[in-house]
Amino acid sequence: MKRILINRELCQGCRNCQLACMAEHTEAKSVLMLDLEDPANQARNFVEADLDGRPVPLLCRHCDDPACATACMSGALRKNPDTGLVEHDRVKCAGCWMCVMSCPYGLIRPDQLAGRTAVKCDFCVTRPMPRCVEACPTGAITLIELESKGRLTKAGLPGQSLAREVEM
Amino acid sequence: MSKYLILGASAAGISAARAIREQDGGGEITVISKDERVYSRCMLHYIIGGQRSEDETRFIEDDFFEQHNIRWLPGREAVKLDSAGKKVQLSDGETHRYDQLLIATGASSVLPPVENLGRGKQVRSLRNLEDARDIIRLSGGTDTVAVIGAGLVGMDAACALAQRGVKVTVVEVAGHILPLQLDQRAAASYERLCKKHNMEFIFNDMVASVVLDEDDNVQGLKLKSGGTVPCGMVVVAAGVKPNIDFLRDTPVDTGRGIKVNEQQQTSVAGIYAAGDVCESLESFTGQVMPTPVWPSAVRQGWVAGSNMAGRPVRLEDNFAFQNSMTFFGLSSVSFGTINPPGESFRVLVDDRGDAGYKKVILQDGRIKGAILQGDISAAGILGALVKKGINISGLENRVFELSYADFFAQKENGEFYFK
Repeated sequence: MKRILINRELCQGCRNCQLACMAEHTEAKSVLMLDLEDPANQARNFVEADLDGRPVPLLCRHCDDPACATACMSGALRKNPDTGLVEHDRVKCAGCWMCVMSCPYGLIRPDQLAGRTAVKCDFCVTRPMPRCVEACPTGAITLIELESKGRLTKAGLPGQSLAREVEM
Repeated sequence: MSKYLILGASAAGISAARAIREQDGGGEITVISKDERVYSRCMLHYIIGGQRSEDETRFIEDDFFEQHNIRWLPGREAVKLDSAGKKVQLSDGETHRYDQLLIATGASSVLPPVENLGRGKQVRSLRNLEDARDIIRLSGGTDTVAVIGAGLVGMDAACALAQRGVKVTVVEVAGHILPLQLDQRAAASYERLCKKHNMEFIFNDMVASVVLDEDDNVQGLKLKSGGTVPCGMVVVAAGVKPNIDFLRDTPVDTGRGIKVNEQQQTSVAGIYAAGDVCESLESFTGQVMPTPVWPSAVRQGWVAGSNMAGRPVRLEDNFAFQNSMTFFGLSSVSFGTINPPGESFRVLVDDRGDAGYKKVILQDGRIKGAILQGDISAAGILGALVKKGINISGLENRVFELSYADFFAQKENGEFYFK
């Protein structure tokens, strides 16, 4: 499976990852056309300030032992054994918030429009790479490859040329 | 080839079946359940309230049993265990042999010792799908229902019935609803909402008897205070007891539920227990107790199944003091201790009236309890801090704005953890 590795030292707090995430989940998929005032447009990733005001990118881990899926009593959340992704089925979701209660990192939340179903990272499954990773201009978030037991096999997967330029 | 027998097809039983199949591709897995279908007990009130069909409460894949090559025998239950012969006798007369047995038979509602409660024709609890069906049917024959007990099950039933247009009166022995999950302030928000939906509450009182007509039809309740509640139906939500009757005269050790070790193993080798039927070491209190919440059942089932299939794992994160709820669109999450138990506890409150309410209980720099109402968006962080007993000294003044950024720590494989 792949996971997004975070290098907080490289994060400038530009929130491009959040805009990209919001845009990717609209029909037009365009940042330019994105209505930031529409509560239906909700990022699934976060950049939060720590105690000293420094930015920290926070993105779903698709955990090896996902507390959200363990707590899900509707069957909406399930770790896909083939991809390793923790998938969320909005039709099955009952909005009981057991997942919101259980995620220790606060990365699955109620949808802010209707408040009826949970919203979480889907790893942009239809794309070769999550849009947030593509959009990060500093290399603060990159993809890594893991074996099925969760051990790291490969860091800095290709497709992040921008990131490498900045690092140099 | 190992023969695995699982009694129960709810959270714990299904989770165990998954764990076994993951570990042992060839073992023979049989799941026996009293239930005719697989459904989430936590969603029964959605059926009553009309938000979900019975099919929509199924919490497993449509082809779960075929996909995992599991034999499922619904509509029957264990009546006798022969642990020496490694056999279980079922209500249909058949006997099943096992190498590894999981008891995940859950719990049943209890009827408190109230006069006529057992006799009334329109008295039900809410535990099984059949109960939900009965409640729907019976609520069609009356326009007034009384609910005994304002815990989560009682409130789920009460609000669902109110959504069906029935007048609901809830009788609760404590001073407010959800006394184990919410404080008075958070409960009051719900009580106001409920009253707007044609519900009434009677607190600090108990039911003395059920008033019946000559055919045992429910006419109302008589209260200990002397008051009366006219109603045509009663829903009892006064707690549960584990389904362990069939273990009488067996060497399986029981207390309030089946006793298990950290691997969910009972006192008898080859026999495991998980979910509401057992009592286990709870992480927040450090006490052995029943942990009747969904995440504990799933976790315990997974631990039991893994061990049954030969992968030794121990139960961790068995955190029962966590609750989430939504009534009439208002959501709350609570963790740990709800009210400060003594002078050594500090209480921090962020009360914004109808816009939301947050409360944290601190002791020696650690969060011992929390309530969030309204905005619950990152509740799990507080839950993790309560569960793990993490010292947050120096962060108290931003306790309601805490995010994982304040605790960020990442392993080489990208997993997060708390230092």
